[in-house]
Amino acid sequence: MESFSSLVVFLSDYQTGMVETFSSPRKRLFIGYILLAFLIAWLWLRYHGQSTVRTMRECLGRNIWWSSSARADYGIVLINRALLVLLSPLLLSQLAVATWLYLQLFEYWGFPPRAGVLLPDWAVISLFTLCLFLLDDFSRYFLHRLLHQLPILWAFHKMHHSARTLTPLTVLRTHPVEGVLFSLRAVFVQGLMIGLFRFFFGDQVDLYTVLGVNVLVFLFNVTGSNLRHSHVPIHYWRWLEHLLISPAQHQIHHSVEPRHYDRNFGAVLAVWDWLGGSLHLSEPEHTLRFGLSKQERPGEQQLGRLYLYPFAEAVTSCAMFCRRAYRAATGRNSG
Amino acid sequence: MKLKKIVMALTVAAMGSASMAAHAGDVYADFPVTVKDYSGKATHSVSYGGQMARHVLHTSLKKLAKQGNGAANPELKAQMLAYFSGKDAGRSILAPGSKGSFVVAESEVDQLSGSKNLAGKAYKGAVTSWPGNMTGAEVLAFMVDKASAANKGYDAVNGLDYAQLISKFAMGAVFYNQAVDNYLDEKLDAGTKPNNKAYKDGKPYTGKEHVWDEAFGYFGAPAHTLDLTAEQVYNIAKRKPEAFKLADANGDGKVSLYNEMAFAHAYYAAGFDKGGKTQYLHTITQAFFDGRQLLADADGQALTDAQRNTLKSYANVIAGNWEKVIAEAVFKYAGSTYKDLEKITAALENDGDISKLYRTYAKHWGELKGFAMALQMGGKDLGATGVQLNRLIGFGPVLLGNTQVSGIDVNGKYIQSASVSMTEYMLQMLKVQKLMVDEYDVTARNKDVLAGMSALVEKLGDEAANAEND
Repeated sequence: MESFSSLVVFLSDYQTGMVETFSSPRKRLFIGYILLAFLIAWLWLRYHGQSTVRTMRECLGRNIWWSSSARADYGIVLINRALLVLLSPLLLSQLAVATWLYLQLFEYWGFPPRAGVLLPDWAVISLFTLCLFLLDDFSRYFLHRLLHQLPILWAFHKMHHSARTLTPLTVLRTHPVEGVLFSLRAVFVQGLMIGLFRFFFGDQVDLYTVLGVNVLVFLFNVTGSNLRHSHVPIHYWRWLEHLLISPAQHQIHHSVEPRHYDRNFGAVLAVWDWLGGSLHLSEPEHTLRFGLSKQERPGEQQLGRLYLYPFAEAVTSCAMFCRRAYRAATGRNSG
Repeated sequence: MKLKKIVMALTVAAMGSASMAAHAGDVYADFPVTVKDYSGKATHSVSYGGQMARHVLHTSLKKLAKQGNGAANPELKAQMLAYFSGKDAGRSILAPGSKGSFVVAESEVDQLSGSKNLAGKAYKGAVTSWPGNMTGAEVLAFMVDKASAANKGYDAVNGLDYAQLISKFAMGAVFYNQAVDNYLDEKLDAGTKPNNKAYKDGKPYTGKEHVWDEAFGYFGAPAHTLDLTAEQVYNIAKRKPEAFKLADANGDGKVSLYNEMAFAHAYYAAGFDKGGKTQYLHTITQAFFDGRQLLADADGQALTDAQRNTLKSYANVIAGNWEKVIAEAVFKYAGSTYKDLEKITAALENDGDISKLYRTYAKHWGELKGFAMALQMGGKDLGATGVQLNRLIGFGPVLLGNTQVSGIDVNGKYIQSASVSMTEYMLQMLKVQKLMVDEYDVTARNKDVLAGMSALVEKLGDEAANAEND
């Protein structure tokens, strides 16, 4: 009986989560954002002189949406949702982090300032909206950079980069280990900001939202965020590409060209890459190919391989790290 | 394929929620007589008059606790003791009485049951949450003595509100303790109060049937609770005119304090549930009903192991939810105390009048302390949680000179010692709320000091279930 009700809860959570992925404006894949992305892509391609037939093919082509890579994306979305339903209750909550921070501040700072003393409401809301957006975007950039630079994490992040064709759903092509890291990142960022702002500004704290979403995230999503994972190389002016990552810049991030490796880690803002020396402007004259290698390997889109190989690779890289550390500690050069 | 899955999930979810819902029409009354050799005239086997007598002894005692004039008052003390430890016939029900069109049926305790008191059923172990190393009954007697000499039950020097302390602690030390640590615990064992014998010779109920009824009585819910909403039960306890017809289930024009009124923790459960986040009242009452139905179905035979295990699982549901109701109350009053302190410190900064604020603070603290003491009356050692709770709250509220009651001397007088500041005490109230969340997973969370934080988390959405990455 208990296992039956657990199954009921699981199925209901799974279904709710899956429906929300496409129906909630809080999610990148909200149907409204996807339709807008199609519109933007259409206008862009037509503006650049492409025929209607070719435009249709580039936006909706079977070779993109039903490629072995895209089919793997769909499988991963279905499997990951189930894993997330099981894993998310085990993760730390934003509220736990925020409460902990609030109590620490109370302990070491003393009584929280009275609401309205430090700043007027509009300034608190603007500051919270902006700070949350900036810290969220920076943490995405930073974790993404680590995923590329630490071999043990790269083993898992490779699943995302193994995509040969890019569709908006590729945004969810992530290994569950990476999914957990990204969730913890969100928990940490939100918990930190909520705890801090609630302590100093009390009930004044709020968020400027549109359709329930941070207004800045909303702007990012309605201006074609879904085209980052597509074959439509929309680029911005060069000066703007120093500030905001264009879809074409993110496509460079997925390129098989060695000179494009470890470039453009940013999500919304390009300034983090600019400051960190990893910014790469778009190259409208080049047609890009995506994936981990120039040559496609047989079976590279098999789900079992995509899910399980990273563990073996992570163990290997971990063993290599330990061996190197041991050698460094003992001063030996060879085993 | 996906559509098929969604439809299946929806169907299964609907079935599940229907099976978990409380059943309207399930009234805790009229279960048949199953005692095999019974030859009396009773037409049903439900009986919990003694428990309802104790409920009105408690409510009457609370009323008396507010009637002192600030000087030693032997007459008032004797009257209070009559309700606390006396057993004499002829005691009037001082509360709850009729209120306007809300007419109450009984006016004498004996109409519910004779020769009952609270002291005889109070927790027999040492109460570590109160100074003096006393048993539950001794703590209550000590408080009765203090209340009789206090001004309207309020000791301004130590910040203690005895009506609140006595009431909230008695609910734990008598009702909660008797139900979960006695009737729903060892009295469910095979060798005790068997189901194939009358409780006592000539009684129309079996041992187990009566044990179960007694526990139900202590909870304090109207017999027809499952036909009512939590808000309706709450309004009945408040004797609101619009609730009269809802309470008067048998339509005799009077509300019986035996089975149509809401008391004690059932009232608090209703209070939390009417917020819509919890279902303590109906979950507990449904478990009581289901357990009683199981006993009726056993038809006067000894319970099998399987039946007893099922009965114990209902008992666990009751005990677990009952404990959460008390934890919710601790959470709520820690929040009220925090907010009172916030107002007092603001008034002090602005040279405002704090006398009314201070009185409210003492009242809320009394409720907090009483419920925190009650929480420890379930017959299990709360371990570190109990220690933490008692240290955070202390033996009295932090007073204006940053002092607090720290003990009782040999003459029964309070000792005050230097304590934390009011600001630091506010932090301790926050920690009490956090403790209730961490240890009891309270969800109604009335007077949540950090409510704005939860609202913000909600506004930001369920990021933990989001693995979007670029």
